Amino acid sequence: MTDLATPPAPPVPPSPPPTRHTARWAGLLILVVAAGLIAVLATRPPATVSEVQNPLVGHASPRISGTTVDGSTFSLPAVPGKFVVVNFFASWCIPCQSEGPNLVQFNFEHQQSGDAQLVSVVFDDSASNARDYQAKLGATWPTLADSGGDLALAFGVRESPSTFLIAPDGRVVAYIVAPVTAADLDQLIARAKATGA
Amino acid sequence: MRSRHFPLWTLLGVALVVALVVGSGLLSSSPPTAAQRASAIESVIRCPTCEDLSVAESSAPTAVTVRATVRQLIAEGRSDQQIEDYLSARYGSSIVLDPPASGWSLLVWVLPVAAGVIAAGLVVAVVARRRRRGTDVLDADVRGPSTDPVALAERRRFLTQSLSDADAEYLAGDLSDADYLSLRQRDLARLAALGPVATSADGPGAVTAGTPGSSELSAVSGATATGTLLDDPDRVAGDVDARVEPSVDLTDRARRRGRNKWFLVAAVGCFAAALALAVPVFSSHRLPGQSATGSIDLSPSQQVQRSLDQAAAVENQDQLGEAAQLYQSILDANPDNEVALAQLGWLEYRIGQQGASTTLLNDARAKLNQAAVLNPGDYAVHLYLGTLLLQLDGNAAEAVAQFTQFLADRPPASVVAQAASVLRQAYLAAGRPIPSQIPTV
Amino acid sequence: MNGTLGHIGVLLGFAGAVVGIVVLGVGLARGRTNTLRGGQVYAPVILLGGLVAVVAMEHALITHDFSLSYVAQNNSRETPWLYSITGLWSALAGSILLWGVVLGGYATAMVWRFRKRAGDELVGWATLVVYVVSAFFFGLMLGPADPFTHVVGAIPADGTGPNSLLQDNPLVLIHPPMLYLGLVGFTLPFAFAIASLITGRLDEDWQGETRRWTLFAWAFLSMGILLGAWWSYQVLGWGGFWGWDPVENAALLPWLVGTAYLHSVMVQQRRGLLRIWNLSLVVAAFSLTILGTFLTRSGVLESVHSFSESTIGPLLLGFFGLVLFTGVGLIAWRGDRLRSAGGIDSPISREGAFLANNLLFVGFAFVVLLGTVFPLLYEALNNGTQVGIGAPYFNRFFVPVGLALLFLMAVAPALPWRKSSVEVMRGRLAVPAAIGVLVVVVCVLAGVHGIEPLLAFGLGAFAAASAGRSLVLSVRGSVRAARVGGASTGRAALSGWRGFVGRANGGMVVHIGVVVVAIGLAAATSYLQRGTLHLAKGQSTTFAGHTVEFVGTRVVTSPSRSSFQAVLRVDGRGMFYPAVTQFGAGTSTVGTPAIDSGWRDDVYLTINNIPQSSSGSGTTTVWTFGVVEQPLVMWLWIGAGLIGFGSILSAIPGRRRRPTDPVSAPVSGVAPPPDPELDRDTGSPDDASDDRLPVGAGDAP
Repeated sequence: MTDLATPPAPPVPPSPPPTRHTARWAGLLILVVAAGLIAVLATRPPATVSEVQNPLVGHASPRISGTTVDGSTFSLPAVPGKFVVVNFFASWCIPCQSEGPNLVQFNFEHQQSGDAQLVSVVFDDSASNARDYQAKLGATWPTLADSGGDLALAFGVRESPSTFLIAPDGRVVAYIVAPVTAADLDQLIARAKATGA
Repeated sequence: MRSRHFPLWTLLGVALVVALVVGSGLLSSSPPTAAQRASAIESVIRCPTCEDLSVAESSAPTAVTVRATVRQLIAEGRSDQQIEDYLSARYGSSIVLDPPASGWSLLVWVLPVAAGVIAAGLVVAVVARRRRRGTDVLDADVRGPSTDPVALAERRRFLTQSLSDADAEYLAGDLSDADYLSLRQRDLARLAALGPVATSADGPGAVTAGTPGSSELSAVSGATATGTLLDDPDRVAGDVDARVEPSVDLTDRARRRGRNKWFLVAAVGCFAAALALAVPVFSSHRLPGQSATGSIDLSPSQQVQRSLDQAAAVENQDQLGEAAQLYQSILDANPDNEVALAQLGWLEYRIGQQGASTTLLNDARAKLNQAAVLNPGDYAVHLYLGTLLLQLDGNAAEAVAQFTQFLADRPPASVVAQAASVLRQAYLAAGRPIPSQIPTV
Repeated sequence: MNGTLGHIGVLLGFAGAVVGIVVLGVGLARGRTNTLRGGQVYAPVILLGGLVAVVAMEHALITHDFSLSYVAQNNSRETPWLYSITGLWSALAGSILLWGVVLGGYATAMVWRFRKRAGDELVGWATLVVYVVSAFFFGLMLGPADPFTHVVGAIPADGTGPNSLLQDNPLVLIHPPMLYLGLVGFTLPFAFAIASLITGRLDEDWQGETRRWTLFAWAFLSMGILLGAWWSYQVLGWGGFWGWDPVENAALLPWLVGTAYLHSVMVQQRRGLLRIWNLSLVVAAFSLTILGTFLTRSGVLESVHSFSESTIGPLLLGFFGLVLFTGVGLIAWRGDRLRSAGGIDSPISREGAFLANNLLFVGFAFVVLLGTVFPLLYEALNNGTQVGIGAPYFNRFFVPVGLALLFLMAVAPALPWRKSSVEVMRGRLAVPAAIGVLVVVVCVLAGVHGIEPLLAFGLGAFAAASAGRSLVLSVRGSVRAARVGGASTGRAALSGWRGFVGRANGGMVVHIGVVVVAIGLAAATSYLQRGTLHLAKGQSTTFAGHTVEFVGTRVVTSPSRSSFQAVLRVDGRGMFYPAVTQFGAGTSTVGTPAIDSGWRDDVYLTINNIPQSSSGSGTTTVWTFGVVEQPLVMWLWIGAGLIGFGSILSAIPGRRRRPTDPVSAPVSGVAPPPDPELDRDTGSPDDASDDRLPVGAGDAP
């Protein structure tokens, strides 16, 4: 029997449920990730400026040999003994056309000293077009026809002009994917010599 | 209802599985052919001079070179990964359209799968948690009902709306009897769990008896939801189902179910008729080797012949290098194909002559001899051998022997005419009379 | 003169936006409804400014006014008038102008639609958000993306003309405007979402009210994307129509999130659930449009489309950050108030299906975003080494997600709301499932192979049949309603057309269109055959069941282009002219494909190699043609048309009834007593539930 004399205990107010701030934590997480993404996107230079890395740099170069655009054969030994500049070009490629006279100058300078050999390779173009182009340019150095594209594949060439500098011991030491000047090449050769190529 | 549909669904399931197994070629699978491997690899290698195209899709010269290289490497016996590595070593790892599954780029494979797993896991966890704790209480009130009158009113509104919504759904026939009862019971229990409606605080949040305009529904839901239950605070929520009555007469619903059966029979009949018509129609216009979808499934010999034709056309275009590669690829797949062997030998001879390469010329000779052994009756081989013997060795006597066999093999007159000058040369040099078949130049 | 006029227009638009922001800001801060009403007038000012600038630019393009550098770079004297007009959006600055004028149009439409509630604080905030976005884009045009800059130095006699690829096909007239109508349209639901978050009025049905606008924007975005695919198919020459290009992905991402939103908002309208989902989806959709604009215009990613312009990039990125932080921040702040009281009653219910739909779409959007942005992240984290992510990666995830979505499309229209069971679903879906299995069996018998395309065909047929079932039921319901309303049998039968309009029914037609697109996609990508044909003139050969004969060549010249074409006869019937075309005076040439489209397949022809004229040896010269045969490509474009048609149907108002009436009430709105004699089959409660307001609407809060 309930005791009527004792007043019933006052009702205890229910404690408020603890609040879960799921939304805030989730929001914070999303914002942190987004901030990271924005930071990366903001600091990346536009694609046109950066160079494509070529995995050949620092490794032995592929054998440079084949048929020239005149029909004769040309080949260099695996250890060429002098610097070799390999330039991939096409007759329709506008930056190549601006680069051509620079190559003529470079060839002229180094023909006498004999410490560098220039070789051009036709990329994505027909041999006859390239032959006419080289003749018009006044190129006296060998131009390989590379009709099957195998040399371009061996070097991993994706666009023209592409220029590789090979040290006398046969390693690829530099890769430029923009038109070069004779001064650029000389600088690269000097740098390679200084680092003991 | 269950017994009528069950055999149908089993039948459908079996038919589907059988069809899929047959159609997917699991039963007749063989290890991928060289061509299939090449095609698969080519679709993941980027074309070096294009943007965003694979070498399979591009017609650029660099893509052609890469494709030829891939085929050659397959013929050499390299694995798919080795071929990709070969190309990456030259072009850089971005030549592969698929990111490598190592290092940082593993993330790009792992993250989507992980996200999917996490999402599925969350859903399962939420469902399991609800089931575990029972659904008599609203999600928002798991730890005890809120004391905030606005929140309480919102929850009451939600539950009342849900109740009348369930009634409407049931009326329309979308909810089964069992589902309707369980939903109703649960929402009533939740309403009860919210606690009694404090009459003084019942201002703007007052529960309206159902929704305006549908008098019958409001009588039902209003009465059971608010009237009876909440008037009697001693009634425990668990007693609800004893008092709950469905608000709609159940008898008319049974009538509707009979109609689905005829629908089904009519649909099956139509499609059987369509099948009977469609298959003959589609199979009538096929070329040999073509399936109904129009794709040609050439037999191997047909494929080889097609490749030979292509190579010959390229050779006629004076692209000796490319033609040689094509013949080589045919030979790789069919080492005994004498035609490809002979043509390749002849091409090597021509290229070797151009570049003065003795290795090539020796190889050409070997190939042509081999071809002659494989098929002595082929006039082309004898013509090639004879020409080689004459021009390279200066051996007119042997050359004439070959040419005699050539003429004996009944070559077409056009070929004889084309080769006339060489033939005459040989016969004259050997001091033999010129056969009458050879036209005067 | 054109330049000055253009500058005036841009300034007008910018000024209108800024003044509008100020006025509305004052009105909102002080709580003055009259000021708020006054602030609405600036939307037409923005539109007017945009229109003036557009008129100035078009005039400059059509009259070849080369004193403007934009015209000098994108137009020439030989450019035909069509491509002069489209020159407005061919390059960066012009495309920002197009964005600005479309935004002005949407702002004006919104202000007009809500003019009666202009004094409402929520409408005021929404308009403010739209003004801020307009101010940003018009501000871009005053600075880095100015379309009206003058040429430095002498005015050239002739311009360089538009990009060759952009004057190859008239589709350039429609594709970008439709795409922009879609992308820009997502600003409105976003504005209302922000407004409701700021004001805290989250129970009212703003999402529902703006649903028609969202549908409008979504429909245009869908059409824009599909038209882009069609255009790229006709022009680019590789025979494909979707390459998972970063720019294509940039338009796809908002579409994916927008589709999820369109479906998920139905759940909110009906029962007030999934509110956080919907707000997040809307914020994500709009943020993705800005991110997409950044990716395509900043030069960060090279692709077919990208306008490489580096100065605008950081500004767009900053705006993206602002949008995202505002949206996510507001949702996080209000997060706890957003929770609805109840949850989804059962996984087997339409609510459950829409939640699964959300997860699938958002998941796939995550994959696409990751794949697009990852190469940049990788390069940043790895000192410049690059990694490539291309079509194979995306397709690998697209196939299972697509198949799962087809399955959902099949099941969901038959799923009731609230709760259901496997038994009920088995009953409803028996016929569609049988149709799906029959299609698979027929295909296998006819020689079709490959498990993925077979599944796609089967699930597609299942989904189409399920949509068809919904339409049939809806038509019957309309006929019945007309009969109940007293029409004769004939008139009642005619009024069955009502079963095709309205939100749910239009949606079913859209689903059928999606299924058609999916089937075309599966067939074209699984069974395509590529090859090269070496043909001399007069020769013919067969490929993939078609004969191709090389008839001859011809040269077609016009002032703006000269085109060297090969004449090919396909299957002895039609003549097709793949070409190598040179535009204007430039030496760059583009290959133009020729396509023989048929119901069963497309034959896609390109010229790969023209032999040099100096080939000796007297043999006939052999040309090399590329050929791609793809089955069922036409179905893609037909499906696209169905999607557009379905969207229009969806926008036409359906049966109007009071939102809270039961399903079986007739159109006149008077609720009859339930009549067991009437053939009340499993009706579609969708139509009634469309207009049902959620919990609390109409009640005083």
